[in-house]
Amino acid sequence: MTVETVSLFLALLAVVAELATATAVVLAVGGRFSPALARLRRQAVEAVGPSALSLAGVVAVVCMAGSLYFSEVAHFPPCHLCWLQRFCMYPLVPILGFAVWRRSGRVRPYALALAVIGACISTYHVALEHHPEWESSVCDPKNPCTLIWVKRLGYLTIPTMALSGFALIITLLAVSWAYDRLEPPAPSDHPAPAAPSGRAG
Amino acid sequence: MATTKPKSGAVAAARKKQPPWLWIGVAGVVLLLAVAAIASGGSGKKKPAAGVEQTRPVTVTGSSLVELPTTGGDDPAEGKEIPEVTGQSFDGTPVDIRNDGRPKLILFVAHWCPHCQREVPLLAKYLKSNPLPKGVDLYTVATATASARPNYPPSAWLAKEGWKAPTMADSDDAKAANAFGLSAFPYFVAVNGSGKVVARTTGEITTDEFAGLAAKTLGNK
Repeated sequence: MTVETVSLFLALLAVVAELATATAVVLAVGGRFSPALARLRRQAVEAVGPSALSLAGVVAVVCMAGSLYFSEVAHFPPCHLCWLQRFCMYPLVPILGFAVWRRSGRVRPYALALAVIGACISTYHVALEHHPEWESSVCDPKNPCTLIWVKRLGYLTIPTMALSGFALIITLLAVSWAYDRLEPPAPSDHPAPAAPSGRAG
Repeated sequence: MATTKPKSGAVAAARKKQPPWLWIGVAGVVLLLAVAAIASGGSGKKKPAAGVEQTRPVTVTGSSLVELPTTGGDDPAEGKEIPEVTGQSFDGTPVDIRNDGRPKLILFVAHWCPHCQREVPLLAKYLKSNPLPKGVDLYTVATATASARPNYPPSAWLAKEGWKAPTMADSDDAKAANAFGLSAFPYFVAVNGSGKVVARTTGEITTDEFAGLAAKTLGNK
């Protein structure tokens, strides 16, 4: 399988991530103004919420695998901004894995902090690709951050894909958080907690 | 961290087994995208035309220039004689940069460098209506060429930008660039008629700065 094929596959995944994030934003914002969208939002949260942390973990695993593929198989050396994004993405794999294993949302704030920092770095990296003069007016002959190794579908570069991944993880964490705060079903539907020893998130 | 947590609201209710439709849907989408990527072949890399090579052997005669300091300050190579470099264009046409008594500007570019990608079209457009002063030659050296890097091959890139100056395809080990003391891209070396360096600079420059460099080559004979 060629690097072009794999990068196209990862780019298509990024498009799906962007669509999912955009849908979530529309439902979150639109739900405040439209009862129909609010209903849709609740249905979406009820459907995705129970698996949101697992899905976020899967997104982190795919992002990590993709970045390792680009550096170790395609031999695109990561620049220092790529490394900073890795520092944010890679820990999400064990953190979210732990959350899924323990069925606990308590790690959500830590995962969210990492994802938000990573998304900020990705955003800056994407901006730098469009404005290389922000970094410098020269190219380091070795490995400048402005070097665009991959560009698929006209706009999806490696930092853009990373930003899509971070955005989807943030969205899924928000869905998980919203799910925990949904109005509980009728009391007869589930037993009361035995001993409230902490919050879910 | 505590071992089990009582969940609030709907989380506890969701302890009921979730139907697997969500995961089946995710797996289906991923599979569909994988098939789409494989079916499209992921083609994207342009192949150079037959007989066109992106790197060519280069011969250097004379002393190499010291690397241009990236920290600024005086250029230690100013006033030094340039090495003579013999090579070929992408299509094999001989391109020699010699001490032939003619002032010259030498531009070193890398196909993957975003600053070079901005500088080349800027200068190409400028040179169409603003030729260099009479007697000043312009050479280009396409160096640091790597097929794995973006915007490959450099021959296609320079042709697309309408770049007309004689272009030397540097060797795999960038002999020409090293001989001229390149430290960053894009890289300009201004040489007077005596074959001595009058100025070197790196990075994107404006057309006025480019014209200034060209004018400098006519001085200090």
